[in-house]
Amino acid sequence: MTWARLGKIALAVVGLGIGVVGVLALREATLSTHEDVNARETRLVLSGETKGGEENQTLSEMVEAQVLTCRLEVESDLAGPIERLGDGRYRAVLVPALDDSNQRQFRGCLEDWVIDHVRLDVEQLDQIR
Amino acid sequence: MKVIAWLAGIGTLVAGGFYMVVSLNRWEWNRALFFGLIVLIAEVALATGLVLRRLTRLEYRIRRPVDPVVADALRETRPPSPDRFEWLRDATQRPNVFITFLIGGGVILSAGAWVVDRVAQKTSSPVGEQKLARQLSGISYPSGGLLVDDVTVLAQEVPGANDDQIRWLLRRAPHQ
Repeated sequence: MTWARLGKIALAVVGLGIGVVGVLALREATLSTHEDVNARETRLVLSGETKGGEENQTLSEMVEAQVLTCRLEVESDLAGPIERLGDGRYRAVLVPALDDSNQRQFRGCLEDWVIDHVRLDVEQLDQIR
Repeated sequence: MKVIAWLAGIGTLVAGGFYMVVSLNRWEWNRALFFGLIVLIAEVALATGLVLRRLTRLEYRIRRPVDPVVADALRETRPPSPDRFEWLRDATQRPNVFITFLIGGGVILSAGAWVVDRVAQKTSSPVGEQKLARQLSGISYPSGGLLVDDVTVLAQEVPGANDDQIRWLLRRAPHQ
């Protein structure tokens, strides 16, 4: 067996290993696993911007719509209205506190393309004890 | 230009795949779907480009004219086709396997025929000869020969005795 053939086989084995490890890592990263949280609530601070929306649509409406939509994907609920901090920034509080998996899912939903013409950026997602 | 197009396609494929994985890792499903769609489009485009490039190569090979010099050189150096019946054609100059078999077969057949002939000669039975003799006795000459006796001579005047052929057969003088 030549060195070139051995090299090809080794390269194929390495590629297969990388692919398997990558798929397993992606599976682990996208798996929802819940756990008890030692916190009372979760505070959310985000900034948003809109582009190309309709005239009678405001950024606050879009932010509220997206936060409420994403709230449906986690086990927590909004504790009070969404506060407008100005300059396109908003703050909300969710109870009970989000565990790590829910935090990632909630952040991903908020920064995802859920509603047209709006893009949100999560600045803070902290646990409040 | 083609290199740029290929690089753009490959870059789109790699970047789309990378951002798809990143979006999946961040739980951004819509973004992951979008980048997955980009990856799919780039993959189809690259595959189509590869197929078209292969077809173009084939078409170029088919349409490319043949160099007459090369064709002549190949024609002149073409190895002769093997003459598989050469051995049969040279049979008159030198002996070969075919002739050997032919002669040998003829000898064997002649020997067999000779043996059969000998056996047939030896096996012809006397019973058969006797049977043949009996069959031939019906048409054989009389045992006493064709010489007639006096009675027959006296009977020469019977009807039909004046037949010249009969008289010749009886070795008699023509009728007076």
